[in-house]
Amino acid sequence: MTEIDKQGRNLSTTVWTQLDRKAGAITELTIRQLRNRISTWVVLGVGVLLISLLLVFYIDSIRDEFEPYDNDGDSEDWDNDGYPLGQENIYGTSDYDEFNFPGSSEYIYQGDVDWNDQPRTHEGNHTWYYAWGYFNPIWIDVNASNPFIYNYDWIDWSLGDYFCEEEGLGSDPFEIGPNGYYGFENIDRNYCQFENGTYIMFGAAFSGEGEFFVEPGWNTEWGYVTESFFVEKHPKSMYIDEDDIDWDGTSVSSSQGFDDDGDCLKDDYLVESTPSDSNRNGIYCDVQWTYDQYGNLISIRADSNVDEDPDDSRHIGESSHRTFIIGTGKIAFVMLLGLFLPLFLALGLVRDESENGTLHYLLSKPIHRGEFILYRLLGYLAIVVSYTVILTFIIAFITSIIGPGESIIRLSDYPVWMGISLSTILVLIAYGSVFNTVGLVLPRYGVYLCILFGVWEFLMGLFTITIPSSDITMLSISHWAIQIIDATVMIAWSDTPLMQQQADAFGLETGISFFWHPPVHTLGTGSPFVALIISVVFILIFSLGMILIGQLIFRKKEIM
Amino acid sequence: MSDDIKVPSVLVENASKWYGQVIGINDVSLAIEGGVTGILGPNGAGKSTLFKLLMGRIKPNQGSVKLFGIDPWEDTSPYRRIGYVSESERLYDWMTGQDFVSTLARLHGMTRNEADSRAEHVLEFVGLYDVRHKEIGKYSKGMRQRVKIAHALVHDPDLIILDEPLHGCDPIARTSIMNVIKELGNQGKTVLVSSHILEEIERITEQIVILHNGRLLALGNIYAIRDLLDKHPHRIMITTEEPRKLANAFIGEEPIYGVRFPEEGKLEIQTNDLSAAHSVLPRVIVESEVKVSRIDNPDDNLESLLEYLIGG
Repeated sequence: MTEIDKQGRNLSTTVWTQLDRKAGAITELTIRQLRNRISTWVVLGVGVLLISLLLVFYIDSIRDEFEPYDNDGDSEDWDNDGYPLGQENIYGTSDYDEFNFPGSSEYIYQGDVDWNDQPRTHEGNHTWYYAWGYFNPIWIDVNASNPFIYNYDWIDWSLGDYFCEEEGLGSDPFEIGPNGYYGFENIDRNYCQFENGTYIMFGAAFSGEGEFFVEPGWNTEWGYVTESFFVEKHPKSMYIDEDDIDWDGTSVSSSQGFDDDGDCLKDDYLVESTPSDSNRNGIYCDVQWTYDQYGNLISIRADSNVDEDPDDSRHIGESSHRTFIIGTGKIAFVMLLGLFLPLFLALGLVRDESENGTLHYLLSKPIHRGEFILYRLLGYLAIVVSYTVILTFIIAFITSIIGPGESIIRLSDYPVWMGISLSTILVLIAYGSVFNTVGLVLPRYGVYLCILFGVWEFLMGLFTITIPSSDITMLSISHWAIQIIDATVMIAWSDTPLMQQQADAFGLETGISFFWHPPVHTLGTGSPFVALIISVVFILIFSLGMILIGQLIFRKKEIM
Repeated sequence: MSDDIKVPSVLVENASKWYGQVIGINDVSLAIEGGVTGILGPNGAGKSTLFKLLMGRIKPNQGSVKLFGIDPWEDTSPYRRIGYVSESERLYDWMTGQDFVSTLARLHGMTRNEADSRAEHVLEFVGLYDVRHKEIGKYSKGMRQRVKIAHALVHDPDLIILDEPLHGCDPIARTSIMNVIKELGNQGKTVLVSSHILEEIERITEQIVILHNGRLLALGNIYAIRDLLDKHPHRIMITTEEPRKLANAFIGEEPIYGVRFPEEGKLEIQTNDLSAAHSVLPRVIVESEVKVSRIDNPDDNLESLLEYLIGG
């Protein structure tokens, strides 16, 4: 391969290295020219300002929006006993009674004699409750404190013994007395004692050991009162975000969800009760997701206390973070920087040279005009591409550090930022080639055409964001650029669709459903990689076409 | 190299170029090889059109233009051997002279180092070596012309085309640029220099081409043209308050054969020998003691010479 030209030089060095040197020289000249123009710095500076403002907005919103929210309200403490509702639920106590709280002593039911039960006598050491009948005590506690929620039927022993005879109560309290009342209705207590030591109880509650005789038609219940013990009061914050969404995202109608905090399953709970199956699918404590045949969510029916308090700081935080990145990528990078950088930097690449009267210095050299256009574009790209990459990296770095999540740096953000960078660069290439060509064809009025084109691209970009499947948007570059971002999001954060559906299902307010849609152009495969490749190829072919048109026009253009 | 010798550096055959109704050049044929050639013509004669055709910036409507046998509109390869100094005064003012020349040198495929050393060499040749690291924006007009020439010479071209290189320069810059051009001719290069001022061309070269209204009018030695110029009737216009008194003083002077009073306060004298007339003029005016405010030579320009040459 040692072809030698007339001057005796190795042909491979003359053709390729010289081409390379010329490309380098024009590219370098272009960079230096752009660097020497104030408008370049103004537009680059405005871009930095825009991104900085977005960052400030992001930092501000990351503080506000990620406040956790108590979706099921169990962090409240309605009875002001210091135990939040969630903790009271665990211990089965009431959040509406300040005397009933975790660790407070409690009456436990053991047995009863109903109005029609046999036998009518029960013997034992109990706390008797709602007792109607005769009690023959071995001992009776006159000093026990009231263990019941409602204390009106607890015998008030402090008043001292009360003898039935003194009040004129006969041996049969159900005998109708002279005033037309039953005997016991003549006394204003719920008990009295006969002279033989037997008590008669009218619905009273008390503690004691002995034999209880229930008259036919009367009844009593007995049990025991637990010892009170100390329970640490949980902070309210423990009951915020405690039962996250446990939907695994499989898009079929199925049982999903898990009772993370156990307040449905009642595992390890002090109170024995049957776990809930309020959605009646035969599975305790789950969530039933039902889809129609097209995959649209029809209903979500949760057993009570399951998945009722999603982790907002994670969900809203995460999806707000993603929304910010996607929105910034699509609007700030692709639609604003992507349009304004080439408008200011590419439109005049060849036109300005011609208007300044310096074009002839470059064209009186052994360079093909087509090459010249290409090298000018290379110079422009060298500036805007490095600008885009640096800017993307800075914003990616900052947001990946202060963004939500346990890890110090959110590495999963970087592929998305790379997609945004790629998309912006392709847009800069495409618009750059369009604007440069327009500047060549219409040196004077081209800028108006470019602005019209920019407005079209911007509108189509907005349409693409809102209605990604509309066909007309395919006639714009921004549509395909946005596809690239959508596809990279799908690749890097594959749970984004799940996050969207969760947000919709649980009413978590984030913009993620607005700013992101799954990529459309997958040729039916549904693969984001296909959409990515198609979009990249489309934009590249368009750009090459525009560069070729520009080269052909410039080639045939007479330069006065 | 033997092929190159047979083809002239510049070959224009029956080339015509018009812009709508306006004729740029009309059926021009020209072959130039070696030495300095002046392209002479008044403004609008077609010099710039001819140069634009040579530089491949425009395409002839008819005929052909060849540089070293290659059509520059189709192929830029001849520019490896051509240096072009345009009439445009625009430069990259933010660059230094060294920068400018070496950047453009790299467009010839030189490496950065080659370009730098070549740039230093040519800047020395045009006399800008000392100011080569100053920004072009701070250069004087003559320095700007010379830096343009330097950029055209940086790749050691065989053909150098200079469009009005002396335009707007002060006498010192003019002399130094003329010396550069003459030196290039002495080095055996083919040099094309355009101008609309005969005296400038006269000081550089003997070989001239005259363009007028887009047509090639004359091609030849400058002395023949100069003779024609001196012999052709000239008018000298004198503005004075007493034209008749001054007219009397001129009667009887050898080179002057007639006087006219074209308008109030003006005297027109007619001569066949311009230089002789100019030599008697001061003496006559002083002797007549008439106050003269202005002397014009309305015929001492290329336009009137060309009118005369074509019998207009």
